[in-house]
Amino acid sequence: MNPKLRQLVIAGVVLLVTSVLVGVWVGSAARRLAAAEDASSGVALASAADEGYCTGELKVILRRVLTSCGLVPGGSTRGCQPLQAKSVAAMSGGDFNALFAPLAERAAIIQFDQDSAELDLGALTLLDETFADQSGASYFLVVSRASPEGSVGYNRDLSRRRASAVLDHLQASFNDPDLEQEVGLLWLGEEFAQLDPEFCSWQRSRPVGLCSSAELNRSAFIAWIDCRL
Amino acid sequence: MSPQVRILLWILIVFSLLGALFAGISTYDFVAHLDRQVHAITCAFVPGLAARDASGTSGCHAAMMSPYSSVLRTSTWGGIPISLPGLAVFAFLLAFALHLLLSGQPLERADTWFLLAATLLPVVVSAVYFAIAVTKVGAVCKLCIGIYVASLGVLVAAVLLHWRAVRPRGQGATWGRFLAYAVQGVAFVLVPVLLYLALKPAYPQAALAGCGSLLHPEDKYDVRIAVASRAGGIPAIEVMDPLCAACKGFTQRLSASGFEQQLELEVVLFPLDKECNWMVSESLHPGACAVSETILAAGPQAPAVLAWVFDHQEELRRLGDLGAAAVQARVKQEFPEIASNLGKPATKSRLNRSLRWVVSNSLPVLTPQLYVGGEKVCDEDTDLGLEYVLSRLLERRGTAGGGR
Repeated sequence: MNPKLRQLVIAGVVLLVTSVLVGVWVGSAARRLAAAEDASSGVALASAADEGYCTGELKVILRRVLTSCGLVPGGSTRGCQPLQAKSVAAMSGGDFNALFAPLAERAAIIQFDQDSAELDLGALTLLDETFADQSGASYFLVVSRASPEGSVGYNRDLSRRRASAVLDHLQASFNDPDLEQEVGLLWLGEEFAQLDPEFCSWQRSRPVGLCSSAELNRSAFIAWIDCRL
Repeated sequence: MSPQVRILLWILIVFSLLGALFAGISTYDFVAHLDRQVHAITCAFVPGLAARDASGTSGCHAAMMSPYSSVLRTSTWGGIPISLPGLAVFAFLLAFALHLLLSGQPLERADTWFLLAATLLPVVVSAVYFAIAVTKVGAVCKLCIGIYVASLGVLVAAVLLHWRAVRPRGQGATWGRFLAYAVQGVAFVLVPVLLYLALKPAYPQAALAGCGSLLHPEDKYDVRIAVASRAGGIPAIEVMDPLCAACKGFTQRLSASGFEQQLELEVVLFPLDKECNWMVSESLHPGACAVSETILAAGPQAPAVLAWVFDHQEELRRLGDLGAAAVQARVKQEFPEIASNLGKPATKSRLNRSLRWVVSNSLPVLTPQLYVGGEKVCDEDTDLGLEYVLSRLLERRGTAGGGR
């Protein structure tokens, strides 16, 4: 074979093989791209937490309570008084407290001295730690109570001041623009859903010492609610 | 033709084949990504024996995703992979060596001068790319090393062949042959490159409109970290996990692209670690929450801490497997001045707000993500297509009047 012709044939064959490989690779990518354009990505979107305990029943009651007590946009007031809480929850005090049973790991009980709405050091620390542990929760409930000493009206006001003390501290300590939409206050006085000694085993700001019903209800029960409404 | 020359030609053929093999695999891996999806890539001295890299942690992945792996990236999506002309050059050397071998004639200096010039080209390119790999990319890939070795091999074979070649018969014939070889060499490079450009899929123009936008771009939670504040720059937000290798690679690509200079870039931390992120059931990057908290606790030092975290990402990922305490202890050792802020409720709360910023914008649970002027750069365009898309996005924003 003519040397020049042989050189051209060799070069042609090698170039052809190279070009065919490139063509096949690129063509294959183009076909995959066309196929992929029809498929959705299936990537999850970021959202607030919605834990397993957020049953339909719980959500219905939460929505009622949160709307009436000023958390859900459109609610008229911030904070529920005992009679309102009782009517919007439409349940007994025991059932109301049972709603919070799944929150044992996310809740804390901020305790106060008798006839006082002042947060002590232990209360401030526990409140800060609990609030900072928001995780994916959307709502922070503050359910304050009072022990039965004194008149019903006085205790109603005392529990309101306890709830307010908690909110005031959160506003001062956490510059959280969502605070208005996420913190809900319920003050129950001595009238509704009082805590029984079973709650002594929950996280409290005064973990040592007496834990009678009276001590337990001079308190603000706080909890993040990991439910989407 | 003497037996020694014949052996040297065989050596030239073997090294040309090796170079073509490594450059071909590299080209194949690059071209596979033209489908805008994620693929495992080959990164081994003996391709086929080692497992392919699907995690994006190999040097080959770093090299391929770096802006130096291809040219003309702003003109065509992904650019032209530098390994493609590499493949063509080795293919040409193979054809040339076969031609010399099959001719059976004693080699002339006219042939070997050209061979020297042709084999010098991959050596020079290899030297340049080795320097880039060490100084810019910070990783050397095994396929690239294969190409470097093959380049040296063909050059050494060419030098020895030149030493054994006989003098040319006439000057005129030498230049004519030289020119003919050069034309062949150029054709070997041009044909595959033009074929590549002709067949590569067109960029879907709809993607230029972005892949969504931020619902609430404002920083009401005060969680964004300014990392590149250019006066008059277009606002851009990078959503990242500080322990994610892809995020580090993306940040480096963005910086090397040169387009970062036109952006007022902020970072939102989105650790894919279940310690603090309720949106993931398994921790993709254990320790990322602890690292993120540390960065947020650093205040004005945050960009410096973030840069340090990227530099020590592998070490921190290993520590992350031992627990958050081990990660934070290492960072505290490096930045003792921020230790007092760690673990405080306010710092934890700030990290939580960073996640809530992501929730408020309903962003996909993945990292990295880039938003330019509130528009999301499609995830498929954050690697090979970054320069192509950014150049167009910025041009459009500039034409639209100013970027803010």
